[in-house]
Amino acid sequence: MWLIYALGGGWGHLTRAIALARIAQRGRPLRILTNSPYAGIAVERDLDVVALDTRAGVVKEIAECAPECLIVDTFPRGIGGELISTPKARATVLVHRDINPRYVESARLREIVAAQYDLVLVPGAGEGSQLGNPPPAITTDPWLVRCAGELSHSAPIEGGSVLVCASGKPEELKWYGTVIAELLRLDCPAPVRCAAAECPPDCPKECWVRYWPAIDLVASAAVVIGGAGYNTVAECLALGVPLVARPWPRMYDRQELRAQRAAKCGHVIVVNDPREAARAAIAEIGRPPRHPPPYSNGAIEAVARIEALFRSQCAHRIDARSAPDGKPCGKERNPAQQERDHDEDERV
Amino acid sequence: MNPPFPPDWKCPRRVGFLFPHACLRATPLGCPDCQNGQIEDPYAMRSDRFGYSRFDYYTDDYFLDLGSVYDPGVPDTAPIDFSEADGTDLVTPGNEFETDMTES
Repeated sequence: MWLIYALGGGWGHLTRAIALARIAQRGRPLRILTNSPYAGIAVERDLDVVALDTRAGVVKEIAECAPECLIVDTFPRGIGGELISTPKARATVLVHRDINPRYVESARLREIVAAQYDLVLVPGAGEGSQLGNPPPAITTDPWLVRCAGELSHSAPIEGGSVLVCASGKPEELKWYGTVIAELLRLDCPAPVRCAAAECPPDCPKECWVRYWPAIDLVASAAVVIGGAGYNTVAECLALGVPLVARPWPRMYDRQELRAQRAAKCGHVIVVNDPREAARAAIAEIGRPPRHPPPYSNGAIEAVARIEALFRSQCAHRIDARSAPDGKPCGKERNPAQQERDHDEDERV
Repeated sequence: MNPPFPPDWKCPRRVGFLFPHACLRATPLGCPDCQNGQIEDPYAMRSDRFGYSRFDYYTDDYFLDLGSVYDPGVPDTAPIDFSEADGTDLVTPGNEFETDMTES
């Protein structure tokens, strides 16, 4: 079994885990551990999602599953430090979303990753940078819950809408509600829709949509107003939909940095004030739609990389058994080094 | 690569945030990604990311506070000799990190 540790607040960790799981579960049993309050909304058919809310519960679940592969999203030690006391799986993989470098330093995450992880996967160029090597860090395209050909054409919003993605913390809903009120006050020329688990204050009920995954809605929108979390930014860049991004402070994620970098490379406008956000979104309506090439879903490569890690581990064991002295044949390399060498060979 | 460039030269690098794409610029001069060709691989360098300091949550006072509660007892120049068994001993998380399971 592959077990994905996706604890952490909001939608992001769970959505990224589901993106990977949709691809990975085709070849093996798989389970996702989450403490997201949205686990009941983010339903994906046939996925095994276990909701947990205590450190002890996480440790017990991992021990009982005894996964051959443990895939840990973002937090090498676990979000509560609980992974330090769990037994090591045959393969342990870190999904390296951006993480606060102060935490990296104070918790000595590089040393922990080097000692306990076999592979670091970076889900999008420039997303993670502070961990890995060793073990090798491999960058894939972003992981999305829909491949380019899978987007729903029956998403419950009108084409050309202004889509407000009100994810994040409950106290941040007020900001989004103010944006919606301002859009309506300015007689926004396009339908205004708000995707959120709960209807924000000041948002008319008829504007509110409770729907997952948001990427289906993004595909129909003329412009998105949202935070600068991983999924919102990646989905808008993938689909070429302009994003008016309000970076929120987080303990571990650097939304401000992600927004600023995205603004350099894509159509992303960084704002703080809700009225500024409304005006920026209205300015985007009526611009010619962009037609970016179909995006690649990095979750597919990620699964292939993990499978390659297993193959290299098998080869390593066979080498070890066939050596007369019981030591690995030829150049003694660990599986991580073999994988890196294999990549270099492929490049040559 | 230094100028002059062949007439049909195209930048071979991959650039862009999250979704990298072929650069294909006809010259690195003035390029915002590789800074006039001085950076061979912008994402390998990534000094901008590690040096980034705009945290909404963190003030100088906070880091001073963190320093007062966290003392790994190991000099910065110590060799990496971490093992799994050392895990819990190496870190004394402050009041902020690893205390809120709902953070992200």
